[in-house]
Amino acid sequence: MKITRREWIAAISASPLLTGGLQGAEAPAGPVSIAKCATYDEDVTAKMAAMFDQLGGLEKLVRNKTVTVKVNMTGSPGQKFQGMALGLTHYTHPKVVGATAALLGKAGAKRIRFVESAWATAGPLEDVILDSGWNLRGFLAAANGVEFENTNGLGKSKKYARFKFPGTAYMYPEYVMNAAYQDTDVFVSLAKLKNHADCGVTLSLKNCFGNLPASIYGDDAGVNDPNEKPTKGRLDVVHLAKRQPAKIAPPELHPGQGLKNAGYRVSRVVADLAVVRPIHLAIIDGVESTAGGEGPWIRGVRVVKPGVLIAGLNPVCTDAVCAAVMGYNPRATRGTAPFRNADNTLLLAEAHGVGTTDLKRIEVRGVPIEKALYRYD
Amino acid sequence: MRMLALALGVAQVVCAAGPAPSAWVPVRWPWGDVKSLELLAGTPVNCVLVKAPSAEFVAAAHSLGMVTLAIMTPGEEVSASVDGVVFEGEASGKFPDGFPVIELLPRNKLLLGSKAAVLGTYQGVWPGISADDEGAKKSGPTSGVWIDTNTGFLRALRAWGGASVWIANRPPEKTVVSTTRYLQVIADAAISGARWVVAFDDDLVRRLGAREEAAMGTWKQIAGMLSYFEQHAEWRAMRESGKLALVQDPEKGGLLSGGILDMIAVKHTPVRPIPRQQLSAEALSGATMAVNVDAAALTPEQKEILRGFTRGGGTLLTGPPGWKDPTAAAGSITLEKAELERLNDIWRDVNSMIGRRNMGVRLFNVASMLSNYLSAPDGKTAVVHLVNYSDYPVENVAMHYIESFKRATLISPGAADKQLEVYKTEEGWGVDVDRVGVCATIRLEQ
Repeated sequence: MKITRREWIAAISASPLLTGGLQGAEAPAGPVSIAKCATYDEDVTAKMAAMFDQLGGLEKLVRNKTVTVKVNMTGSPGQKFQGMALGLTHYTHPKVVGATAALLGKAGAKRIRFVESAWATAGPLEDVILDSGWNLRGFLAAANGVEFENTNGLGKSKKYARFKFPGTAYMYPEYVMNAAYQDTDVFVSLAKLKNHADCGVTLSLKNCFGNLPASIYGDDAGVNDPNEKPTKGRLDVVHLAKRQPAKIAPPELHPGQGLKNAGYRVSRVVADLAVVRPIHLAIIDGVESTAGGEGPWIRGVRVVKPGVLIAGLNPVCTDAVCAAVMGYNPRATRGTAPFRNADNTLLLAEAHGVGTTDLKRIEVRGVPIEKALYRYD
Repeated sequence: MRMLALALGVAQVVCAAGPAPSAWVPVRWPWGDVKSLELLAGTPVNCVLVKAPSAEFVAAAHSLGMVTLAIMTPGEEVSASVDGVVFEGEASGKFPDGFPVIELLPRNKLLLGSKAAVLGTYQGVWPGISADDEGAKKSGPTSGVWIDTNTGFLRALRAWGGASVWIANRPPEKTVVSTTRYLQVIADAAISGARWVVAFDDDLVRRLGAREEAAMGTWKQIAGMLSYFEQHAEWRAMRESGKLALVQDPEKGGLLSGGILDMIAVKHTPVRPIPRQQLSAEALSGATMAVNVDAAALTPEQKEILRGFTRGGGTLLTGPPGWKDPTAAAGSITLEKAELERLNDIWRDVNSMIGRRNMGVRLFNVASMLSNYLSAPDGKTAVVHLVNYSDYPVENVAMHYIESFKRATLISPGAADKQLEVYKTEEGWGVDVDRVGVCATIRLEQ
């Protein structure tokens, strides 16, 4: 049976919440803006400026503030999908990064710090940016006060920041991260509109899984102390529960419980992170991206061109709209696309009270969802 | 035999009038008809390797300024009018002094230090991004791509000095080679100062023979890539530069592909191979780090040279105790798995020692590429060659360098030279390159 776009939106908006105990109706809602942007050759800065205006303007959020922007640079910059530029597939596109810097600067941000826990290194993020084919000098020229921090280790700080979960976390009672995540007034998640092989989707919430330093949560993290020269990913600790993080961070709350896979564990960690490190502004680059997985190492991944940019002030609401734009029900539960083998991170974050996934409660500004719809499956 | 000797004498005269062996640009020519030579008009190819060429063919080649080398097998009689002969294996038979006899030998039979004008082998890996068993590119979630290359071997060979180096491997059998791949293979040899003996796959032979338009286009591009390197003979006189030296026996591990030199190359760390037999304080001059693969193989004098290097402030990394430079097994040109794993231990140490230090140049966004940093003997000019082994152009490459070169020029096949903006970096200077197709060269001048 074929249904129209409007019918589909109506259907997913009316979906009952199947997971018992989640408090979707009580979670806050925030507006989300959608803009059409067919290619990166269009005026990305102007489109993003219009979106931010639709959200109430950047100035009141960032003027005279330190703004930390978590970009998405998943995997090694050496791994390109069919030789394509990373920004055309699974990385945030540099034009979106540059536009963000310019607009933050124009809005009066005093310090704009781009962060990422780069793949398998704690070296300067500037090196990784250059290795990604991004124009480092262009970013620096885009606004005053632009800087970079690789948060895979201590970086430029002398000590790690501790983020204690207020209440009962899903996985860890406290998360230990690079101080850049604490030493900021505003935190922005600048993500990509992608599927994730394990977790279903990776949007503004899942992007922040990369906040965790490999020095502590990595496969080669020290047993006691952080390893400030990590060379591996974070599979063993967070995804597979093969070991606990370096003892500078507390162990998980319920060792031995739950499934030992990313669909269970990473989804929960991501929801926890949305509480301990709140996201003030979510920006999702969906101009060009990948479907079927988060990077070229996933078999069956393919290039897609949804031609959209999405931004919102609440990450759960923003991701819910993103999921709908991708053709998914944002309230879908385990076993349903795209959460075939995962618990829905959006619902988990909603249950933490971060934001609602209920599309009926989310005001979409700019382009309506049905006109931005681009089915990933 | 007397007749042959007389004929060879004539050939020598002809040869003397043509290009010297060091300038020969060779191609395996699959056709014996005179008309086929029209394909070579306007190309830099000046040396045709052909089976049993006719006198008419040789004369026609001479009229075009080309030399003809007969491809020989042991026991075969030489065609009387040729300018020289090429054996795929050890030469047999007697030839007059000065008559060009080129042996394309297995790597482990190469006559290092001989007076041969051309040092050649028919053994080479087929350069390109390595594919796994299922055809996917080898680029797992945890690592960058691995590039199959002859560059490490060729650099080790050329470090010995002297002869022109030819690598005469053929395209893989039953494979249709893309145009881009041909260009990459030419560049893979040329950036290390060697020449690939151009050889066509069967499909291209058939299509070129029929003068198909697409095949002619491929040939034009092949010729263009050859011209690119032949127009810059000065590059071949340059030598590997940088602050890292690798002391290795070219008769052992240096003959193998996939070894330590290739591992360093994939990381784009400039490295100067120094044959163990030629190790001297002068050879180490300017280096700040050295890797000595096979410590036990050194003579007392050589050990003293390395001690002097460390006393002078240099950092020396030696292989673990008991580790020897791998020896190529007969017929093998790549490392055995066990040796590769042992070499990985050294590689990890080398990688750790280098860290993110700039050993001459640092390149960014070059995962699908290999590079070579070469300096002119006077040090006033240097070049950095880049070869892109992917099927797509790479955009936004950055290069940081530490020597005080004030001018940088981008040289690319088929494009006008372009002045690059030189900017200051934390470690020295930098330039940005917008786009690299199959290859490009950055020339640095004081």
